[in-house]
Amino acid sequence: MNEILELFTYQFVLRALIAGSLISVCTSVLGVVLVLKHYSLIGHGLSEIGFASLSIAAALNIPAMIISTPSVILASFVIMFVSQRYKTAGDIAIAIASSIALALGIIISSLSGSVSSTSSYLFGSVLAISQWDLVFSIVLSLVIIAAFIVFYNRLFLITYNEDYARSLGINTTFYQLLISILTALIVVLGMRIMGTLLISGVIILPAVSARKVASDFRMLVIISGVISFVAFVAGLLLSFVFNVPAGAGVIIANTLILIILKVLVK
Amino acid sequence: MNRLTLENVVIKYGDITVINDVSLRVDSGEMIFITGANGSGKSTLTKTIAGLLPISSGKITRAEKISYVPQIEEADRNFPAKVREIVLTGTQRKGKLFYSKHDKELAKRFTNALGIDGLVDSEIKTLSGGQLRRVYLARALCGEPELLLLDEPCAGLDAESHEILFKVLCEILSKGCAILMVTHDDLDLTGIKANRVIRIEGGKIHE
Repeated sequence: MNEILELFTYQFVLRALIAGSLISVCTSVLGVVLVLKHYSLIGHGLSEIGFASLSIAAALNIPAMIISTPSVILASFVIMFVSQRYKTAGDIAIAIASSIALALGIIISSLSGSVSSTSSYLFGSVLAISQWDLVFSIVLSLVIIAAFIVFYNRLFLITYNEDYARSLGINTTFYQLLISILTALIVVLGMRIMGTLLISGVIILPAVSARKVASDFRMLVIISGVISFVAFVAGLLLSFVFNVPAGAGVIIANTLILIILKVLVK
Repeated sequence: MNRLTLENVVIKYGDITVINDVSLRVDSGEMIFITGANGSGKSTLTKTIAGLLPISSGKITRAEKISYVPQIEEADRNFPAKVREIVLTGTQRKGKLFYSKHDKELAKRFTNALGIDGLVDSEIKTLSGGQLRRVYLARALCGEPELLLLDEPCAGLDAESHEILFKVLCEILSKGCAILMVTHDDLDLTGIKANRVIRIEGGKIHE
């Protein structure tokens, strides 16, 4: 126990704890909207596109955020547009785009000899969070929470029935873009600590677990955030105890919570 | 006061013309029934007036405050929401992000008027089809519409609910709202008098 507590005296662990907790809460809050709107796979698609951009950044030896942020935002617009425009083709588009992006990422990192640096992104690393990432995580989390408070009634309506919102004269495209940008930014931040292969689980699992107990949208958002926070801290501890990547620990913690709720709540 | 004007409106699905060169004017306090066979384009026309479908040509001028009750609500029946939250969404408009005290009073008034006041704290997934229909009607009325578009509002409602609905509709008509109602029902059974009855046939309207 003392050894675990001692870990939190290290700066990089504290950074991972604070940034990871904030990112987890925000991904789960956005995850509620994405899951209810049947856009669950978006996080998966974006993170693999993010992996390709990280590989390009590593090959060119430039800061990852410079390439990954705009490319993931652009990809989120395209995925949202295709999902909305062609409904059932949305999942297919995500599956194709994410496979191609992952393949490209692996090829680029293999050719450029940067496999070792980019492979840590696949499964995540607590070492990946820099001081700037921490600042960016805090700012972005505040923006996401503020957006959720200010636009709560709108997000509720648009998530429930977008057509009805449009019939009231509401510009639903603006809110779609807002959700796209926030999801893209949180994925870019989160994929480095959780891993590009695992970040989508952090988006989906807390919302699915929370649906077992929440009776309304507000409670769903709050419970999802709480579950995600608890799962992140538990997952981080698991990763230290068993010496496994943080993202894997967080996903296992989330899965255990889901199983417990499935068993306990009828 | 004019609530809706359609000028030579054409609506197409791909190459198929559903509504062909239709013109119509609806004024405040008017109640108009739209009838026609299945697939004649009644729902397409109301959906277009609600701003959900594009027109191929022509012009639509409509009141600013529109409420629309579709025939089938394309929403998840298991969505985690209570009746009160759904009804209140009807008061939302462009540029208005928060609910006022007046909005909450309207929600209370119309849930009472439609006999669903006892259900406001119920989750929507627990409601019957008829109860959910009344929730959507209360939501539409909460928006204090200048133009109310109702697509088969009586579907799934029992006789008592019909009576309650028409009483509420008469009240809002007297306050200047215009109502466009798509109906399959025998008009004598609706219990409310329409100012005009429009029949859609072959993409054209016949009064």
